[in-house]
Amino acid sequence: MNQPPRLADRLLEWFCDPLLLEDLQGDLYEIFEARREEGKSTKLLYWWLVIRSFRWSALKKSKKLKNSGLMITKNNFKIALRVLWRDKFNSAVNLLGLTIGITCFLLLGFYVKQEMSYDNFHSKKDRIYRSWLKEDYGEGQIFFNSQTPLRFEALFEENFPEVEKAVQYIEQSFLVGKGENRINERVAIISPDFFEVFDFNMIEGNLNDPLPTRNDVIISQGYAKKYFGENDPIGKVLTLQQGEDDREFNVSGIFQDIPNTSSIRFDIAFSTDNNRDLFGERSMNAWFNVVAETYILLRENTSVAAVNEKMQDVVLELMGDVGYGDGPMQRDQYNIGLQSLTDIHLNPDIPLGYAPVANPQYVFILGGIALLVLIIACINYTTLSTGQSLNRSKEVGIRKVLGARKGGLIYQYLSESILLCMLAMLVGATISYLLIPLFNSLTGTEIFLEFEWWHLVIYFLMALIIGTVSGAYPALILSGFKVIRILRGGNQSTGNLTTRKGMVVLQFLITVFLITTTLIMRKQLQYLQDKDLGFNYKAVVSTALSADPSAQRLSQIISSGMENGELLKARLESHPEISNVAMGTHVFGTSGWANLAHTDDNGIFRWFRMLAVDANYIDAFGIKIIEGRSFEEGNGLDQRQSIILNEAAVKHFNLEDPIGKKLPGSEFGDHQIIGVTEDFHYTSLHSEVEPLVIVQNIIPIASGVSDADFVDSITPKLVFTYNGSNLSEATDILKKEWEEVFPNESWNFAFLDEQIKSQYESEIRMNKLIAIATFLSILIAALGLLGLSLLVVNSKIKEIGIRKVMGASPVSIFRLLAKDFSIQILIAIVLSVPITLWMMNNWLENFAYRTNIGIGLFLISGLASIVVAILVISYHTIRAARINPVESLRNE
Amino acid sequence: MKGEHLGELEELVLLTVGSLVNEAYAVVILEEIKKNTNRSMDVTAIHSVLRRLEKKGFVSSKMGGASKERGGRRKRFFTLTKAGRTVLDQSMELRYSLYQKLPKLTFSIAR
Repeated sequence: MNQPPRLADRLLEWFCDPLLLEDLQGDLYEIFEARREEGKSTKLLYWWLVIRSFRWSALKKSKKLKNSGLMITKNNFKIALRVLWRDKFNSAVNLLGLTIGITCFLLLGFYVKQEMSYDNFHSKKDRIYRSWLKEDYGEGQIFFNSQTPLRFEALFEENFPEVEKAVQYIEQSFLVGKGENRINERVAIISPDFFEVFDFNMIEGNLNDPLPTRNDVIISQGYAKKYFGENDPIGKVLTLQQGEDDREFNVSGIFQDIPNTSSIRFDIAFSTDNNRDLFGERSMNAWFNVVAETYILLRENTSVAAVNEKMQDVVLELMGDVGYGDGPMQRDQYNIGLQSLTDIHLNPDIPLGYAPVANPQYVFILGGIALLVLIIACINYTTLSTGQSLNRSKEVGIRKVLGARKGGLIYQYLSESILLCMLAMLVGATISYLLIPLFNSLTGTEIFLEFEWWHLVIYFLMALIIGTVSGAYPALILSGFKVIRILRGGNQSTGNLTTRKGMVVLQFLITVFLITTTLIMRKQLQYLQDKDLGFNYKAVVSTALSADPSAQRLSQIISSGMENGELLKARLESHPEISNVAMGTHVFGTSGWANLAHTDDNGIFRWFRMLAVDANYIDAFGIKIIEGRSFEEGNGLDQRQSIILNEAAVKHFNLEDPIGKKLPGSEFGDHQIIGVTEDFHYTSLHSEVEPLVIVQNIIPIASGVSDADFVDSITPKLVFTYNGSNLSEATDILKKEWEEVFPNESWNFAFLDEQIKSQYESEIRMNKLIAIATFLSILIAALGLLGLSLLVVNSKIKEIGIRKVMGASPVSIFRLLAKDFSIQILIAIVLSVPITLWMMNNWLENFAYRTNIGIGLFLISGLASIVVAILVISYHTIRAARINPVESLRNE
Repeated sequence: MKGEHLGELEELVLLTVGSLVNEAYAVVILEEIKKNTNRSMDVTAIHSVLRRLEKKGFVSSKMGGASKERGGRRKRFFTLTKAGRTVLDQSMELRYSLYQKLPKLTFSIAR
């Protein structure tokens, strides 16, 4: 016991300088002994002493250490720093190029990383799944939803031992607050044990039981401030109203604001114990009424496959003789599936739930572009330092004579590129962090990044990789120089010339590709925005009306909303600046017009869209009638049973000479087709115009429909055109009249043109991101060209002198110097065409309506890159061409 | 030159070596410093300071006899050299002359 630990001693003996060992070890022993006599725990102490003794000054400086990589690295970096300092112009060009490349790469990388890391913060994320429901009855009768019936929570918990917990997540609109200050908010309805599955943090209240009763509500930190200011909200009352119900909730907890990278985002939540009241008794046990997102938490060491395997047996047994149409449910008709939580944000194949989904294609494209820009920057470094390597042949020769091995030389030259990359990374990363707010406001992204210390490791590794990649080729060339030729004074091979030219071509190829891509995307976006949609939407304002709170059936909601609208309409029409006031269940620029389905007399199942309007709607928007007539004001028959189709619907229903006919299907009520409209684009131009039925009274059509899907609310909206010059006046008028007519409702408005534009938001953002990347890549490529042209000029300075003496004109000298580059750029432009065409055609397939790519844009981008290149080259070449030959030929 | 500068800890160790005359080795120095200034340090820290001082020529060292509580290992005793003494004198002088320049008034105000 009174001996110090043997192992610690051995460790000390191993690393300690032998000259120091005896007295250091003696001292440690002495302290150890003294402490032992005091009766303290000494073994750990001794270990601690030994570990603390591990310092630079006490280390064994053996020959091995002195020749080790550590010392060489120190020396290499010292020399690298001197070399970089000596040739300031080249180092600056290299550093600038790399910095820009890295900055661009990091900024786009932040975006990509954020998109990829959605929902990653939940500790149980690997075990959390969202269920989806896909009903497939053949012949295109497919109903696919990621919202599921309310009974799924119990279904999972009771029938699958693999499921530890199932929770519901529902979003509904409520008016929050009291009296005139009510605000329309999305409110979440969550299972009381929701927080046992997801990692959202409670600040006040009980995390294990955040919603003790059905009358409790929890709110986010931000909303605590919004509704209660500085007061403590716990125990206070919050009023939520939906329909006629006005219910007072007791605030039982406050949770931390949910991070941006969460698919599930809410600020107010109450318990699913209220579901029976909200959705009715029938929906509690319904199989076909989709309401809630159901999330399940699997037990550890269980697999989704095990759940999926049993699914059909469980479903069929539970459903018994419940079926769709005639007879009981068949196997594989009612499919329940599970989607991993982390998969939700970037998977467009599963239908949208409450959480928004991003287009994964765009994320990958941006990631690819980030990489391309970085590659350009790397090539820059590679070509420049390879081109410069000739100047350093003497250095290599001397080193080799003194015994440097090839490996050592490679390592030394790599040190240079790595050092430069470290510098570029330091500057680039700092700039990127500072630029995030600007970047966000410029591109409309929402990058939200907090610096953490371990990020430094990533940056360090990235710099190491970038440095190695970009420095590898020049290092190989330099270290491959033949001593005998250097010392004899002969020329060195500076690598395969084709390789270097190839890299310049590749660099320009990427740049030209990016330029053309940006231009084509811009052209398509312009096309989308300029395309005649078939209706007028300039200076059109829409406002959502509210229906009678007691209205239950669709037709009641629509008619009571329109009745309310009439009051507002009458007042608005008295303003001379306002015209074309009309109402309809849907307006333009949204994606989810009411989607209905029915089976016709021949057993064909069809989906179609429906729009309920007042008599004025079609004329107000200037929608063209190509056959028959539009609705007439005050025509009773029109109000009851006339319908108007669009061209697509005529084709869809297989109607010939449709006027006066009916839709195929005996279950529809009395109706009559009175007109056909042009195919106006009521959804975004991503998709073809779908068949549409326009009615004033929905009852005849609704009665023949078997399935319905409402993404947008069908509560009527009122639209009007403003003819004045000051758009804010339009909203002022609306506000004033609204408050007169509906003193208890909060007013709202939207400009249709903005709403329509927002359909292409992700494309517009993408275009901006690519435009930035393009601009930076042009900059980098130009920098590289600037450096290269200087090298070429320097190596030909004598040749130019002699030519000038012999009478060459400056123009011919310029031509001589520019010829090589021009050929390379031309090759790049030609090669870029097929690549761009292929990529862009793929992208354009996202749109049902697309512009021609056309040859013009290729010409423009080709021409632009040539002009930029010539401008850059001319800086040095003109200087060289004008130089007095005496200067260049004098010194030998 | 680098060698002429005397750091704060170095000065403290150097003074302690001087004051311990012929008995100065790392553990004793460590305890002495702890006793006088209430600063606890690692013995290795003392070692590295001593080595630095020796390199600068302010102390010299020789190995002493072995003792039992050190597991039979010898001690390295340090003594102040003439250069060490000079540098200490200079540093004291500098401090004293600067100290003299403090305005006497401060005392009366402070009181």
